[in-house]
Amino acid sequence: MNEDQPVLLKRRYLFPKARKSFVLFTMLIPGLVLFTLLSYLPVPLGFIYAFFDVRINPNLFQQIFAAKWIGFDNFRYLWATPDAWIITRNTILYNVAFIALGTACSVAVAIALNELRQRRMAKVYQGIMFLPYFFSWVVISYLVFAMLSVDLGFVNNSILSRLGIQPVKWYQDKVYWPFILIFVNLWKYLGYNSVIYFAALAGINPEYYEAAKIDGASKWKQIRHITLPLLSPTIIILTLLGIGRIFNTEFGLFFQVPLNNGALFSVTQTLDTYTYRALIQMGEPGMAAAAGLYQAAVGFVVVIVANFIIRKIDRDKSLF
Amino acid sequence: MKKAVFFSLIIASLLFSIPMAAAEGQGESASGAPYEIVWYFIGNGPQKDVAQVEAAVNKYVQGKGLNATVKLVCFDWGSYTQKMQTIIAAGEKYDICFTSVWANFYRPQAAKGAFLPLNDLLTKYAPKTKAALGKDFLEGAAIDGINYAIPANKEKAHNWGVIVRKDLVQKYKLDVSKIKKLEDLEPLFKVIKKNEPTVYPFCTIVGEDAYRILDWDKVVGDNIPVSLPSDNSTTRIMNELEAPQTMAHFKLMHKWYQAGYIRKDAAVITDFMAELKSGNTFSILQSLKPGKDAEMENSTGYPWIQIDLTQPVMSNRETTGSMQAISVTCQKPEMVMSFLEAFNTDKYLNNLINFGIEGTHYVKVSENVIKKGPNNDNYNPGTAWMFGNQFINYLWDNEDPKKWDKFLAYNKAALPLKDLGFAMNTESVKTEVAACLNVWTEYLPQLETGTADPVKLLPEAIAKFKAVGVDKIIAEAQKQYDAWLKKTGK
Amino acid sequence: MRNTNKALQSAPLLRKIGDGFKSGTIPIHVIFIIYAALCILPLTLVIGISFSSEKSVALNGYRIIPVETSLSAYDFVLKEGGAVLRAYLITILVTVCGTISGLLLVSLYAYPISRRDFKYRRFFSLFAFITMLFTSGFLVPWYIIVVRLLHLKNTFPVLFLPYLQNAWFILIMRTFFKTIPDSLIESAKIDGAGEYRIFFKIIVPLSIPGLATIGLFFALLFWNDFFLNMMFTDNEKMFNLQYLMVRVMLNIQYLSQVTTGSQSAEIMKNIPSRTSQMAMCILSIGPIVFAYPFAQRFFIKGLTVGAIKE
Repeated sequence: MNEDQPVLLKRRYLFPKARKSFVLFTMLIPGLVLFTLLSYLPVPLGFIYAFFDVRINPNLFQQIFAAKWIGFDNFRYLWATPDAWIITRNTILYNVAFIALGTACSVAVAIALNELRQRRMAKVYQGIMFLPYFFSWVVISYLVFAMLSVDLGFVNNSILSRLGIQPVKWYQDKVYWPFILIFVNLWKYLGYNSVIYFAALAGINPEYYEAAKIDGASKWKQIRHITLPLLSPTIIILTLLGIGRIFNTEFGLFFQVPLNNGALFSVTQTLDTYTYRALIQMGEPGMAAAAGLYQAAVGFVVVIVANFIIRKIDRDKSLF
Repeated sequence: MKKAVFFSLIIASLLFSIPMAAAEGQGESASGAPYEIVWYFIGNGPQKDVAQVEAAVNKYVQGKGLNATVKLVCFDWGSYTQKMQTIIAAGEKYDICFTSVWANFYRPQAAKGAFLPLNDLLTKYAPKTKAALGKDFLEGAAIDGINYAIPANKEKAHNWGVIVRKDLVQKYKLDVSKIKKLEDLEPLFKVIKKNEPTVYPFCTIVGEDAYRILDWDKVVGDNIPVSLPSDNSTTRIMNELEAPQTMAHFKLMHKWYQAGYIRKDAAVITDFMAELKSGNTFSILQSLKPGKDAEMENSTGYPWIQIDLTQPVMSNRETTGSMQAISVTCQKPEMVMSFLEAFNTDKYLNNLINFGIEGTHYVKVSENVIKKGPNNDNYNPGTAWMFGNQFINYLWDNEDPKKWDKFLAYNKAALPLKDLGFAMNTESVKTEVAACLNVWTEYLPQLETGTADPVKLLPEAIAKFKAVGVDKIIAEAQKQYDAWLKKTGK
Repeated sequence: MRNTNKALQSAPLLRKIGDGFKSGTIPIHVIFIIYAALCILPLTLVIGISFSSEKSVALNGYRIIPVETSLSAYDFVLKEGGAVLRAYLITILVTVCGTISGLLLVSLYAYPISRRDFKYRRFFSLFAFITMLFTSGFLVPWYIIVVRLLHLKNTFPVLFLPYLQNAWFILIMRTFFKTIPDSLIESAKIDGAGEYRIFFKIIVPLSIPGLATIGLFFALLFWNDFFLNMMFTDNEKMFNLQYLMVRVMLNIQYLSQVTTGSQSAEIMKNIPSRTSQMAMCILSIGPIVFAYPFAQRFFIKGLTVGAIKE
């Protein structure tokens, strides 16, 4: 933040740039090796599976090079349904909701925990909020079912019946589900996500606050003018990372929690569940790769645009 | 600085050496060493004592002059299909795998070139297996005349019926002798509903639905409504949802749902065994075969009466219901086929792989009857019904000793369907198939369980299927079927 | 600040509450307590179900206090006590190895790209970021690399190696490194320290909060993972705790989606009930819940150490 420009300039002239960068570059090597092998090498292979008809061959190289070009055939199914726009809408809207609400709540939780002077209580809260993260989606789907089952569920049996309200058929009425899904997702990840902000808060120099207190700034003013600006790099990075996944959704949340229920499709169907249902009985690696490429391409474009905008505003806070 | 470079080089080389070290262990075996037959199959997952069983198998087959060792790899039900799809698509080396119409899907995998054509190998190296399966059944398992896998020799037909709780039938002195169709169950349900508040009279849930009573002979796949009726009455492929009996069936289900005979949550319940085991179910539709009632009593803890409602037929579902294929990545197909021949015909070998080692995993009660041994839990792949030749299998002490004779009679009585051996190539309509699979999950569970009113929802479902191109699939299926009928002269 | 804290802790309860009202933290406590209840209740429900008899679950639904208690779920799970114990061991080993090597790799990658004077930082940030876009659709190509090129199938490293190069963690770590003032690095350089020395002696100690966060995330990632186990191992001896638990649920999920016809009853009879699934869930969460307070103490300590920096 407070760059020491003169020193920097001096160093730059003392050492040749390339050599200085080289030592830092060596630190990247382990990561680069693994990225190349495990993340980048699969990509050209993925392209081959998506755009070519791959016949199985005991020889890997023959298998790859004997493949026949089939163009966009493997992609067609992604738009071959009248629901294509509903699926796209769900995928994007849920992600936007998760990013916006998730960020707001995690930041709020982190700040609130940080403000609590009873450190022991804060620790206990933080620990408890982490619990839902350990439930797998399948277990969560059972828990939700335990709450919402029509005849045996907790909500209908223990709450609504006592209030004299007619039992609700939760699994047949789709109006509730956007809220249920957003809540469940928030609930599962809040503890986890707030840890990042909590750690970022710990890195803030306490002198800033002491100076503000001397100036007579209120708590709210301190949060607005010191905490949030200092958290903003973290917020921006996490948001950008979230945006990169705008076309991906958590499969378990949208498939297992609504119990794969057709009556709710118009609010639970996302690109991932559609692809899964289409491929479970066909097993076409080409079509799976096509879906993956489609999601990557959209995510890439959206992130580049978002990054470009952030870079225009504050070059230092952009991702690249 | 030099130290720094050195340090990071060490990290990099460490990361590289891990795979290298792993690779060394997998080098080619020298000539003369036994060939390792890798066999992937579906079941209760990896078994603890598999090494013991493998050692016994190796000793036995090597004693028979087969220079081979066998590696038995059992995957779980839930991961098998995904793992095999990946293993096959990646072109990994293995020798034998389980394939069927419901897991590690036979037709698409064969179409992709995953399996070796076996016709010649069968004739040459497995004549006894070929003879035991019979011409009809083998032809039924073929795709365009080529067998890419060997079906298991067991019950070769299916029919549908209900099983009802024997104890409740006796308690209320219900008459089950006159039940010939689903509707006949209604008076029984009334009694149960009135007297047994914790019991649901009828169970129809996702995956175990009563809709199967209509017995559509599916042409493309289970969740695509493109079918032929199971009575050889026509060769016209149609959309089963448009048939009048479909609407009538869904109406009946909806009526029962509203009468409270069916569980309210049926459309989201998937574990039917949990329902039966809990004792809250009076009746359920099941695929029947001789001895089904006893089998169900063993696995649920309640006594059942089985009532047949449809005639037994032999369809592509049985011929391709459980088979073993040889991979194109197999290096010694002749040897593997000889091994399978031994497995299918040699009583000792077959029972060794299915039940483990005598005295450890099972104990003999008499010549052909066994009971659980002290370490049964350590080797119990649960696969006897899908492997090789059931007619040479031992029977558990609680099974009908005449089981295999009854199976033979049942097989003989079955009506072979005309499209036996017809396998549609869906390559040109895969987009439509993918979309239809989604539409199926959207509508059918609601209709099958009676949750939704079919008068409103069924036309909606039909319209949606049309919108995603089900008619294109039907037209393509009809084209291929007509060509196939002409070629085979049926 | 920490002194006032100490004073507060030894002060009488009443004064503490009064203090809470003054600083407006009571409403915060109330909200947290309600939310904490929402997190604990489901856990008690899972525990309740795991101690219920299967029959009473089917008849009465899920209850926090079992209608009919039974230990059969745990009996079923612990029947293979040896397997569960070994699975614990595998999980712990993988978590430890994965977390340590992951932290090393991530921080070594994140540090250069956080440096304003590293010329190619934008390129390498992008290089890492792009990998996040390629997801599940690339399963088969990924599998080909791991199994046919690297021959990692059924080896120990395959249980953590494929997850080490985590771009998400790298980019979060980068923002932590970025908060360290450049002047510190510059002055160290003037003193003649090399880049690696600066990294390990100055940067790492100053970044404990970030490292603790990422370390925690790595540990959770490996503790909760079953996918690597499912895809790359065939041997029961290599199964970790999560996979032992999840495979049962995957079985039910798969079988309910395909029609197995006459075989369905044969298959399903061996699948354990939901009560045992809940028991398995408890067994897999249990150790973490017990270990968490210790991990948290370490974590919080890390945060305070980080906070004292210049």
